[in-house]
Amino acid sequence: MQLDISFIWTAFRQILGAIPTTLSITAVSVLVGFLIGAVTALARLYRVPVLSQVSSAYVTFIRGTPMLTHLLLIYFGLPMIIDGLAGHFGWSFRSASIPMIGFAYISFSITAGAYMSEVVRAGLLAVDKGQTEAAHSVGMTTPQALRRILFPQALAAALPNLSNSVIGMLHGSTLAFAVSVVDINAKAQIVASTNWKFFEAYLAAALIFWGLTVLIERSSAWIEKRIGAYNRGGVA
Amino acid sequence: MIELKNISKSFWRHEVLRNINLNVETGEVVVILGPSGSGKTTLLRCVNYLEKPAGGEIAVGDFRMDCARAKRGDVLRLRRKTAMVFQQYNLFRHKTALENVMEALLVVKKLPPKEARGRSVSLLEKVGLGDKLDAYPSRLSGGQQQRVGIARALALEPEVILFDEPTSALDPELVGEVLEVIRNIAREGITMIVVTHEMGFARDVANRVVFMDGGVVVEEGTPDEVFQRPREERTKQFLRRITPEANYSI
Repeated sequence: MQLDISFIWTAFRQILGAIPTTLSITAVSVLVGFLIGAVTALARLYRVPVLSQVSSAYVTFIRGTPMLTHLLLIYFGLPMIIDGLAGHFGWSFRSASIPMIGFAYISFSITAGAYMSEVVRAGLLAVDKGQTEAAHSVGMTTPQALRRILFPQALAAALPNLSNSVIGMLHGSTLAFAVSVVDINAKAQIVASTNWKFFEAYLAAALIFWGLTVLIERSSAWIEKRIGAYNRGGVA
Repeated sequence: MIELKNISKSFWRHEVLRNINLNVETGEVVVILGPSGSGKTTLLRCVNYLEKPAGGEIAVGDFRMDCARAKRGDVLRLRRKTAMVFQQYNLFRHKTALENVMEALLVVKKLPPKEARGRSVSLLEKVGLGDKLDAYPSRLSGGQQQRVGIARALALEPEVILFDEPTSALDPELVGEVLEVIRNIAREGITMIVVTHEMGFARDVANRVVFMDGGVVVEEGTPDEVFQRPREERTKQFLRRITPEANYSI
């Protein structure tokens, strides 16, 4: 067994084609997850009746179960629900027409939502209570105070955790192979098994993941610097 | 004119305010004194509903509300007639000095940006910060931050400005500049209710001093009456404690 360095490069080029799949799963799950996270975090912080209990249950269940399990539950459960409803209401839509990647989008969004809920909650809690009081004291409504005062500061506070979550979802998206979506890692496996050079192919995949992760870290640092600019300066 | 009638408030079982009555005439400066835990800050915060009173009536100008039956719209109206200057300044940390003052003009009063800006700039010049328009709060000293806070309150043109221990968090050498600004706007006839421990300031600026203890108004009168000829024993005790005579040796 010898390392075939030139094959790393061959695999690398073949795997590149799977980057859009990985990135689209990451982007969809992070964006939708952020929305879910924001709504559930607010529901819990403001103790909205019913919604806050539902949100808490959602967060503890999803964080208490593996991401792969979510994917499999959605993959096998969702078609039953959809086809059942379709039969009942006479829709022509059938679950078979959902593309495989659709299951990954849905299930990973649900996964990301639970983690983001904690990220958003921590961000909102990091903002001093006096900020909300000041916003109210100048006559803002609660939605105005949230939008103009609380959210921008919470976002700045949550950014390091947020970039952690994005990286987590990027790496987690490899699980989509379980429902036969060909992402970076899956592509590496395919390339490897047709050539019997597993180590080289996975090494190439690792390098690509590393590159993407560095990109996320860099952009997060850049954004942090821009929106956190107000925090710098020595005088208390 | 501000009228507080039978304001009461409890935290859990502890009664913080017991049926407080207080009237403040337009243009009057009322200073509230009292030991810590006397309920003076809570009373002030009730006036703009940062604390929700359990019962009583609040009237500001032509607006009157019953606290037991307050709706969200009432609270908003009340808050738009009052402004608060906080002990910890509470400037919007992600906004510059100018943006802090402009914010409510844009969002609450819906002024066009140009007008909001013009008004904010002249207010910041008035509190001596014309050269700090674009500074973030983290770049300002405590005294400067509090002066921005005062400009922010003034911008709303409220019927009354509430000052919650505006100099208590400041380094001693910065207290003077803030008190000077408050003194100047008091002279312009702006109605103010001030909770403070600055006795000299109270003597100078107040039209009326209210002494609170244990959630009730113990005594009120002109600064002369309260400081020179206090009637109640509790007032005398409090004044003795905060203005100790030099009858000790080191």
